[in-house]
Amino acid sequence: MEEVLSVRNLYKSFIGVKALNDISLSIRQGEIHCLAGENGCGKSTLIKCISGVYAPDSGKIILNGHSYSSLTPAQAIKEGVQVIYQDLSLFRHMSVAENIAIGKMHFENKRIINWKEIRKIAEEQLEKVGVSIDLDQTIGETSLANRQIAAICRALAQDAKILFMDEPTTALTKKEVSRLLNIILELKKKGLAIVFISHKLDEVFSVADKITIFRNGCKIGDFNKEDLDEKKLSYYMTGREVEYPKYIRKCNDNNVIMEVNHLTRKDHYEDISFKMRPGDIVGLIGLLGSGRTELAMSLFGLNPAQTGQIKINGKVVKINSPMAAKKHGIAMLPEDRITQGLFMDREIKENISSSIVDTVTKNKVLIDRKAENDIAKHYVEELKVRTPSVETVVGNLSGGNQQKVVIGKWVATHPRVFIMDTPTVGIDIGSKAEIYEQIHKFADQGMAILFISDEIPEIIANCNRVIVMRSGRCIRVIEEDELMMPEAPKLISELISNNAEREREEAVQ
Amino acid sequence: MKIKIKDRYQTILLIIILTYSLFVGLVNPAFFSVETLFDLIRTSSTSLIVVIGLLLVMISGGIDVSFMAVALFGSYTTIKIMFALGINSLIFAFGVSILIAGLLGLINALLVNWLKLPPFIITLGTQSLFHGIMTTFIGDKSFGAGVLPSCLNSFGQATIFSFQTKDGKFGLTVSIIPILLVGLITWFILYRTMLGRGIIALGNSEEAARRIGFNPFLIRLFVYTYSGMLSGLMGIIYVTQVNALYPNKLVGEELMIVAAAVIGGTKITGGQGKIFGAILGVLIIYLLNSTLILIGLSSSWNDLFVGAILVISIAVSSYQERIKNRKNMIFTE
Repeated sequence: MEEVLSVRNLYKSFIGVKALNDISLSIRQGEIHCLAGENGCGKSTLIKCISGVYAPDSGKIILNGHSYSSLTPAQAIKEGVQVIYQDLSLFRHMSVAENIAIGKMHFENKRIINWKEIRKIAEEQLEKVGVSIDLDQTIGETSLANRQIAAICRALAQDAKILFMDEPTTALTKKEVSRLLNIILELKKKGLAIVFISHKLDEVFSVADKITIFRNGCKIGDFNKEDLDEKKLSYYMTGREVEYPKYIRKCNDNNVIMEVNHLTRKDHYEDISFKMRPGDIVGLIGLLGSGRTELAMSLFGLNPAQTGQIKINGKVVKINSPMAAKKHGIAMLPEDRITQGLFMDREIKENISSSIVDTVTKNKVLIDRKAENDIAKHYVEELKVRTPSVETVVGNLSGGNQQKVVIGKWVATHPRVFIMDTPTVGIDIGSKAEIYEQIHKFADQGMAILFISDEIPEIIANCNRVIVMRSGRCIRVIEEDELMMPEAPKLISELISNNAEREREEAVQ
Repeated sequence: MKIKIKDRYQTILLIIILTYSLFVGLVNPAFFSVETLFDLIRTSSTSLIVVIGLLLVMISGGIDVSFMAVALFGSYTTIKIMFALGINSLIFAFGVSILIAGLLGLINALLVNWLKLPPFIITLGTQSLFHGIMTTFIGDKSFGAGVLPSCLNSFGQATIFSFQTKDGKFGLTVSIIPILLVGLITWFILYRTMLGRGIIALGNSEEAARRIGFNPFLIRLFVYTYSGMLSGLMGIIYVTQVNALYPNKLVGEELMIVAAAVIGGTKITGGQGKIFGAILGVLIIYLLNSTLILIGLSSSWNDLFVGAILVISIAVSSYQERIKNRKNMIFTE
């Protein structure tokens, strides 16, 4: 197949930091190429150079046989370079059809809008990906998966020859991910080159033809899918063996901290019961929409349950607000740390002290700045947050370090129960390992942790009991000894994949 | 064809207006007359023009609270020039006022773009600044009916569809023509041009708009200048209707227009808004204004009602947003 993009000896530095160090790369038509590497390894910088956002310091970018030392965004689009960013860059109050067509129409310098043409463009693109969605809905009204498809269609409308997708699956359910991957395979057959950036290794392996690994601005190498396994991939990405240690409960205290009996909230979840002792890491696994997040929210006082009871230390308690939850020693790390977990524009120390601000005071009135500083320093050190100082604005940290700040903020309240909703989403392997290590340490010290995730290896490695949820019900509890068996991953995956299949059948009917 | 939520909102507004009118008509049958309608159009005509300019600014994600000062500056300065040169021409009056006001709008756009501060603060500043420059350097005297160029008053009195009633001659103000033109041109810009879609795109997400090649600076330049130009047009129409020139009228009434736009369904956060909605918003306010006396309430009830409608309309849209958020498991309360 013909070569669409060739990058030769690209260099780019920012204020002395080498973001790209002698990068060469070749991408062919009809090829799915995966860029893998930890955060800050240079993948994003490379894409920005190719799409014309940054000008490289030296080196060549060859697109369709035309050689450039740097491009403008318009030139990049003309050569068929399309990037779908993680935020999708769609317009919320505009219809799906217009979102798909507007890029093409603007690029063609159309000054007058023809609504029939907009519709036609949108319909053609949807046909290309073989999906039908309601074109008249606004983006705000349509599902996340459909937004992803609209973004792909918009790129296709502009005659994309090479399509970059940055973490396209982060917010999708398993079913939606497989639909998206099917679309990507379909586009590949039509001769499109697709460059895929993903943290999720199983996805990388399921679609990629070729995998290029980056580390610290350098290319480690190009690999065929067959030559890599997950272990090797993560070794190349991090430069070290990353072994997730299996958590084994060491705590001797068997008094139940939290007991949940027949908790129900209609249309969200039904009849959920479980117990947690000090040192328990209870996994809660289920697809998006299985009720797992809804349940977690209820335990934290948001989205309160309608019937059933929650006991803390044997006493029935009413948790109908996060304040009440906090009072009972419950902490929660939310799924979306950016909007729900952190004050992105504020400093680390302010974020950490925000959960305990009523106690970090002099005479209960003025904030004790020194104590605030000391507490922040303590948790930054304990959780290994990599930052120049505790005064750094949280928004400037990498995802992994941000997540550590969220954890620090809650650990500062000395919780007895810590609910963690997908704590490692969008976080690179190195930081993941550190976060797991911390979680194990907290459990050893007697905290009970509810660990929500949809990644099976993560659940197996970190939990000593696993609750499997489906359609709002607990369908299976897997105990410690069963989890230790080698067939445990297969069992969970079967529980989930069976369910996924059944759901698909239901959807068809 | 499916009815969309935003359209439903305008339908509700329309139903409120009609029900209220019916109620007023039942209490006081004198309300049901063509005169009432023509009168409503005449009194609201100036606000209808500026609300459309404001609408575009708000859709683009900005806000403008200086337009009344701009309208006053444009019309006052133009008429002073007409005095000085002895000109008595409507075309000159409209043309120069639109030009001056457009330039002031351009200044707003440049400041918003350079200072990168919230446009509310910037236009709050320019509102005082423009008004201050006018009263200090151009003039602060009032001019009564006798001295104004005669073309202005004749435009202000001119009517179409006039007819005789027992109380005298009645007709529809000619100001309806500029309103219709402005409405039509703005509709065309918003729905039929790439510029208009760019305004909406910018209000939805500046970053995303930039990524597909829109130039946010040029779009801002257009919306603030356009808002300024409409203010200049409105300033002259205002003078022709009151048949006098005051250096301190208009300024201070901009928030009522902002309220009208919001009642009409315009999002304060940008990206969404309808011309028809904004027009309905203005009409509701003027309808209350002119009919409270007819149903036996003093005019002090006016503020109460306008305030209530504004709060309710914001509450409704915030409630809808919350329902949507809850569906996505986002809890904001």
